[in-house]
Amino acid sequence: MTTETRKKPSIGFMLGKSGAYAVLILGLVATLLPFFYIIVTSLKTDAELRQTPPDFFSKEPTLKHYITILTDEKIPLARNLFNSIFVSVSRVFITLFTSSFAGYIFAKYHFKGKNLAFGVILIQIMIPFQVVMIPNYLLVVKLGLIDSLWALIIPAFVDAYGIFMMKQFIESMPAELMDAARIDGATEFGIYSKIILPQMGPVLASLGIFTFMATWNDYLWPLIVLTSPEKRTIPLLVVWFQTQHVSNQGLVLAASILTLLPIFLVYIFLQRWIVDQATSSAFK
Amino acid sequence: MQITPIFKKEIVSESGKLTAKQRRFAYTGIVPILLYMGLFTLFPILWAVVMSFFSYTPIREGSWFLGLGGQNPFVGIENYIELFTGTGKPAEVFRLAVRNTFLFTALVLPMNLIITLPLAVLLESIGERFKTLFRAIYFLPTISSSVALVIIWDYMYAPGWGLLSIMFKAVGLVPPKSWLQDPNTIYFGVPLAMLCVVIAHVWQDFGYNLVIFVAALQSIPKTLREAARVDGANIWQEFWLIVVPLLRRTVLLTSVLTVISSLQVFVIFQLLTRGGPKNQTQTMLLSIYENAFRFANNLGLSAAMSMILFIIILILTVTQFRILRTEWEY
Repeated sequence: MTTETRKKPSIGFMLGKSGAYAVLILGLVATLLPFFYIIVTSLKTDAELRQTPPDFFSKEPTLKHYITILTDEKIPLARNLFNSIFVSVSRVFITLFTSSFAGYIFAKYHFKGKNLAFGVILIQIMIPFQVVMIPNYLLVVKLGLIDSLWALIIPAFVDAYGIFMMKQFIESMPAELMDAARIDGATEFGIYSKIILPQMGPVLASLGIFTFMATWNDYLWPLIVLTSPEKRTIPLLVVWFQTQHVSNQGLVLAASILTLLPIFLVYIFLQRWIVDQATSSAFK
Repeated sequence: MQITPIFKKEIVSESGKLTAKQRRFAYTGIVPILLYMGLFTLFPILWAVVMSFFSYTPIREGSWFLGLGGQNPFVGIENYIELFTGTGKPAEVFRLAVRNTFLFTALVLPMNLIITLPLAVLLESIGERFKTLFRAIYFLPTISSSVALVIIWDYMYAPGWGLLSIMFKAVGLVPPKSWLQDPNTIYFGVPLAMLCVVIAHVWQDFGYNLVIFVAALQSIPKTLREAARVDGANIWQEFWLIVVPLLRRTVLLTSVLTVISSLQVFVIFQLLTRGGPKNQTQTMLLSIYENAFRFANNLGLSAAMSMILFIIILILTVTQFRILRTEWEY
């Protein structure tokens, strides 16, 4: 090989590198621009919002719309915020418990009908939500849970995907510890709570974060089962806002940014974890 | 990529036998969970299947059996016949919705891959620190509330003063008078409103496939690509001759997952275009929702719609599991 041919790919490589950054940054701008655009728009005054053609940036940025939402007593924001937090946190804890507990049993115990039982649980993964949407609504009506936050929590006690994930994880844990604990007189539940659970930190956190985000962003099911304003979760509040305040765009934008904020805050600290988890979950 | 088999025989303890006490514990834990699954998953599935053979409105008096029978008569496969050939308004809208759902999916998949595959390759080629940062930002829309994202895109598409209109004018193009409500602007058989929804959805969703492709690329042995570089391959040759063939299985699997999720997109259709203009963005799931919860005439018909969507998704899910099972090694 001559010197010339050896140089050639490296020049092409350098060109490719700066080209790569150019394309990646273009993608970055395309991803962030819509967010950026509504943030700057939400800071505009009412007069600036009505202005045509509009300026991209506000000349006198104001937090007025945010303050209105946060302080207006006609808007049940605090109540709706509480609803969203209550439902999300309850679902996180319930899912973590049922998934790790069932996952533990499936991973570490042999019993008759185990494969059948696990197969039954996997059915939930195969069934799209819209198939059970109508019967579940009727069921919730029959159980007297309609327009109650419990309608968002009770049908979601068991998460097949969570059980599957936990089972995979617990299977890789050595059985010696369990046997040692048994000899020391631990109960079966004691083994779960004192030996297994403390070792599951990262996987519990992953499932917890995902359950939280999915519940916080959930829209279709709350839309079906909740009707009164004080029962709404945050996404329903934002949609209600959009239909009520067509003339007051600043409020709608501020409301949607407030919806995004909690998830973004979680994401800033846990982004690496979240992305890795999303990647690995796709192949299970 | 290592795929762990779902059903794996594991060793419980040295003896391999459980005591009666342990077995009792296992049953006490699993039985309530199964009962729960029975009530909130299995029973509703069967209920939906049965309901799809009845003409059912909840306010009408039915028999003891799920309110079916009585004034909610058994109609056999009439709901299905109506959906496929009937002239009722819901059936006609539903047939349009099936077409639109497939059109949406057929547009989303290639657009997604055209963006995510090259972006993943470029992302893989840069330094670790920047890679993490870029990846995190690209992933941002996927974790965001769909409702908030719809409001964002409502502003992007606002006629006249929305960001897209401003950008069109800035480069000397004439923006459409209405992005989301004009039924007469159609490009190659794709209504403008549908195109707008596709773009907004791909923007919201591409981060998912991107991080999957990046992970798959990382699992391709470095030596293969280095060998190609040493042999003088440029970045495009490297992409087409090394990366694409090795990524085939991942791309196939991701495509199936993308199709399955595209068939079930709801929020953006319900809030951004509300199925309009002239039902041009009406989808199957939106039809199911509207018939069941807004019009609430015949839930049997809605159940039949959901069964049709279910069967389509089931076929795709089976395909997905088939791909997952195939052995693969670099």
